[in-house]
Amino acid sequence: MRLHRINAVIMRHLYLFPRTLERWAETIYWPVIDLVVWGLTSKWVETAGSKVPQLALILLTGVVFWQVVWRANYEISVNLLEEFWNQNMVNLFATPLSVWEWSVGLVVLGLIKNVLTLAIGAGAVWVLYRLNIFAVGWLMLPFLFSLLISGWFMGFVGAGVIVYYGRKVQSIAWIAGFALAPFSAVYYPVAILPGWAQAIASTLPMTYIFEGMRKVLRGGPMPLQDLMLSFGLNFLYLALAIVFFAWMFDRSRERGLGRLD
Amino acid sequence: MQDRGESAPVLTVTELTKVYRGRKPVTAVDHITFELGRGEILGLLGPNGAGKTTTIQMLLSTLEPTSGRIEYFGKSLAEHRESILALVGYASAYSKLPLHLAIEENLDVFGRLYGMPGRARKERTKELLTRFGVWDLRRRTMSGLSAGQTTRVMLAKAFLARPRIALLDEPTASLDPDIAHEVRDFVREQRDGARVSILYTSHNMDEVAEVCDRVLFLDRGKIAAVGTPEELAASAASTRMRFTVEQGLDDLIHSAEAWGLAATVERETVEVEIDEHHIAEFLQELAVKAVRYTGISLFKPTLEDYFIMLARRSNGNGGGKEDPVATCTPSAGNGRALGS
Repeated sequence: MRLHRINAVIMRHLYLFPRTLERWAETIYWPVIDLVVWGLTSKWVETAGSKVPQLALILLTGVVFWQVVWRANYEISVNLLEEFWNQNMVNLFATPLSVWEWSVGLVVLGLIKNVLTLAIGAGAVWVLYRLNIFAVGWLMLPFLFSLLISGWFMGFVGAGVIVYYGRKVQSIAWIAGFALAPFSAVYYPVAILPGWAQAIASTLPMTYIFEGMRKVLRGGPMPLQDLMLSFGLNFLYLALAIVFFAWMFDRSRERGLGRLD
Repeated sequence: MQDRGESAPVLTVTELTKVYRGRKPVTAVDHITFELGRGEILGLLGPNGAGKTTTIQMLLSTLEPTSGRIEYFGKSLAEHRESILALVGYASAYSKLPLHLAIEENLDVFGRLYGMPGRARKERTKELLTRFGVWDLRRRTMSGLSAGQTTRVMLAKAFLARPRIALLDEPTASLDPDIAHEVRDFVREQRDGARVSILYTSHNMDEVAEVCDRVLFLDRGKIAAVGTPEELAASAASTRMRFTVEQGLDDLIHSAEAWGLAATVERETVEVEIDEHHIAEFLQELAVKAVRYTGISLFKPTLEDYFIMLARRSNGNGGGKEDPVATCTPSAGNGRALGS
């Protein structure tokens, strides 16, 4: 054992720390997100648990539905990264492929994978807990579709940042979606959030979906207003996100797609 | 040699410029203008950092030019990107294909991107992979290929959709000599048969001289010279004649001095630098003076001589002040013995 060699190993990793987002995310971001989300969930369960019917179903549906958002987001930004990792960006965009065709391809891919994820998630909840997250039947479909759009807009924003700044910000693909999770009221009602956080939550389409989902699971009527609001916000954000992505792609092309390979 | 005058150029580049913005803006390509004819192989050469890759990236529209115009078949690339790139193939030794896809899966994806029907994709894939000797590896993933095999798959990708123009960046890098030879044959076949126009970069000067109809030298983003490989080589250095003298060494040296030729003497071996057109006349004079030699070798100037001259100028060694001939290093390694 030599201290200087151990020191060298530590320094080899510490040198990376200031310039890679992953290291910061591992050290600070994920613990904070977990603490906030699960802390707020615990607080809600503790205060209202016994009064809330179908608590387990509500929580598990939240878990599975959040996967829809995350998967849709992930398919866009991580598939972009995959082209970087494979040094394939120039090959791809040296063909007639347009950035719009590429985007639509990834959106459709995300849709296919999401159906699979949802089927597996719902099946696992049934097998493990004997709970049917589709208990309310086809009413869930509009919610799911709206969540997909939420994932897509987050994915395009993340991909826009990644396509310009490259691999040094690649962890955006994983962390961007979760940054909105505490405000989206995935596992707990929005009312449990502090006032300033509720203001943020009110601008997020996911909030209306998860709030509406809980109402339906508790046997309430279809919250059409929540649904309309979420779709309205989603379409607005998706349009803005696509414009942002296209703009960042063009800016990246000014610097050269070859540098991303 | 191909006749460039038979039709309008397939690629016209006008005043193309790329300036990378930043604290210190860098001009990577500086107002270059050139044309590529139908069925022509144009070599794009230059020292590292000369602007070759930047130029190719702009020709593929993966890099936005700062100014200038790129036209394929008389149409602007900026305005007709999709229809133009359907006719352009690209391969680079420095890019790769998705590592976890098999060779045939990768080519299938690219065939689809170029809009090839299923059967045509399969047939063309088989034809090209067989030609490049990797058909038996078609189900192997890219991650399991050697550098040479990867390069061959990249070439198959470039010619998959029967392009009318191919941009090949170091297509024979990391290939064994026999495979590199095959590739050069293939490239020439594409030119001669399908009349494909090819822009070709390589660090192998012999290869460029062998394959290219014309060569465009880039230096610090500017076009330093354009011409046939022979023309460029001749402008960089004179032909060198090496005599193994049996009798009349002093007469030979005096003749060389009288002609104003640079000469080096080592024991009975004399090497003189001479314009190719004056060789016969010089030998005649030696015969009159009864100079006898047991061996004579000719070393024609090569493209590498030109490249070295250019690189030295770039590095400030030549400075462009000296006679280019004098800055060229004559050495047997640079020359090609024509006979003795």
